[in-house]
Amino acid sequence: MLMRLAIVLAALPVAVVLHLESSSIGPLLIVSGLTVLTVLMPGSAGAALLIGYAALATAFADGHPLRLGVLVLIPALHLVHITSALAAVVPVKTRIEAAALKAPARRFAIVQVITFVVTAFAAVVPSGAGIGLVEVLGLGALTVVIGVVALRI
Amino acid sequence: MSRADKIREAFAQSHGAHWHPTDAYSRAVWLGVGLVVAGMFLHEVELVLFGVPLVLSVLLTSQPRGTPTVSVRPVPRGAGLGVVHTVARVDGADAEIAVVKLPGGTRAVPAHSPDLPVEVRRDAWGPGVDLRLDHLFAGPDGMHVYGPVVGVEHVRTILPPVEHHPSGPLPPRPAGLVGIHRSPRAGDSTELRDIRAFQPGDRLKRVDWRVTTRTGTLHVRERHAEADAEVVLALDTRADVGAEVADWSSPHHGSSTRPGGSLDRAVRRAASMAAGYLRQGDRVALMDLSRPQLNVRSGVGRRHLMRIRTQLVVCVQAAGWSSHVALRRLPHGSVVVLLSPFLDDEIAELAVSTRRRGHVVLAINTLPLPLTPDPETPWGEVAAEVIAAEHRLRLRRMAEHGVAVTREC
Repeated sequence: MLMRLAIVLAALPVAVVLHLESSSIGPLLIVSGLTVLTVLMPGSAGAALLIGYAALATAFADGHPLRLGVLVLIPALHLVHITSALAAVVPVKTRIEAAALKAPARRFAIVQVITFVVTAFAAVVPSGAGIGLVEVLGLGALTVVIGVVALRI
Repeated sequence: MSRADKIREAFAQSHGAHWHPTDAYSRAVWLGVGLVVAGMFLHEVELVLFGVPLVLSVLLTSQPRGTPTVSVRPVPRGAGLGVVHTVARVDGADAEIAVVKLPGGTRAVPAHSPDLPVEVRRDAWGPGVDLRLDHLFAGPDGMHVYGPVVGVEHVRTILPPVEHHPSGPLPPRPAGLVGIHRSPRAGDSTELRDIRAFQPGDRLKRVDWRVTTRTGTLHVRERHAEADAEVVLALDTRADVGAEVADWSSPHHGSSTRPGGSLDRAVRRAASMAAGYLRQGDRVALMDLSRPQLNVRSGVGRRHLMRIRTQLVVCVQAAGWSSHVALRRLPHGSVVVLLSPFLDDEIAELAVSTRRRGHVVLAINTLPLPLTPDPETPWGEVAAEVIAAEHRLRLRRMAEHGVAVTREC
């Protein structure tokens, strides 16, 4: 039950951010529905749909790319991913020792630190059409990442 | 390979005792890479930033290797009722979290945690499973799992408990040398059996001079022998009923017998009586009225008590085998203790016919009284009253024919 509660707590800022950035109640209802689906079935596609929907809705909304809402959603969506992954392997009525969550928490912190370094880099890179060099670097880095991931699969 | 085989193989690969990726791994790979690629091509930096943590979580973790195990220190199989303590040892190999199903509930612990204390409760006698530690190991961030694995069953057999009854007013004596009960045969005790004419072989010290003088022919005094009693515990295993009449037709799950039911009471009483008689030095036999092949021949001693208690468990496991009862090959002059709920006339007739053959018969009623009628039917009270009245009549008829009857177990 603890991990299910953690999913709800992680999805709460996502719902709040999307609701504040939207003029209708639609995003709130969608996020709530996907959260319920994820809580009930953590191993389903609910978490992927929740993360994907929140990412697309935020990306195509008006506002600065690195506004507060985006900075809140980066750890929140990652937390949704982690908590639903752990909830999928732990039965509902399980007593979870705090020591068992120490390693995932440490890894979460490391990933977030690296992500915010990337965010800081994105903040200083000049925007506009004439940034071909940055795009080439990004594509090169992405190719390396895809290659590493493909080798692991 | 056919399509069905491929599907079967894919299903087998996603379960069982080997490391395999979870949905979280697929989500992190495809969603993470997808968001980053989409962000790059659509010039949306937010998508890239949302995808980076997912990709990093895959890059920072590796697929675990090795074979994690959960083992448990064995507990004694034949110990009595109560609580038994042991420990479960978790060897997680490359795993990060171990999820173990313990008797007190499922626990998620670090894969390299110290031994887990396990408390095993043994509430009922009979055969059963003490422990089965089903488990699952999760790799970093739950992206790979090992299992779920069905644990090894640790079985045990708990013998029926023995309640110590106070012994009768008997003098202290060395056990096993001589009996304490009067035998129908002639012997060397002090209790007079008969005075008869002298026969070749009679000892001269047995001559009754007074009778000899009066009759003019030699007469001797014959005395009773003292022998160990031959007790036969006859168990009626055809029915196991409790006080609730409504439950009589439904099976009981979770233990060999209904707790407090007729069979449970009969077995407990039989074990206690066997212990009491054997402690006195008497010979005790066990007979299953519906399965004669499970009978235990009469014997003495502590090992014989263990044999009887073990066989009581076997009898209960085979309970309900036959609807007929039979009492064969009774030792001459034995005391027969019938343990039954006495729910039909057949068992009552068996008790009476055994009494007529010259045995002392003690009928112990194991039916829990008073009966509780079925509240869900308007005929519940009437049915319970009819059953109780028939039962009372049956016990009274047995008593009239010389069977010693105890109404309460």
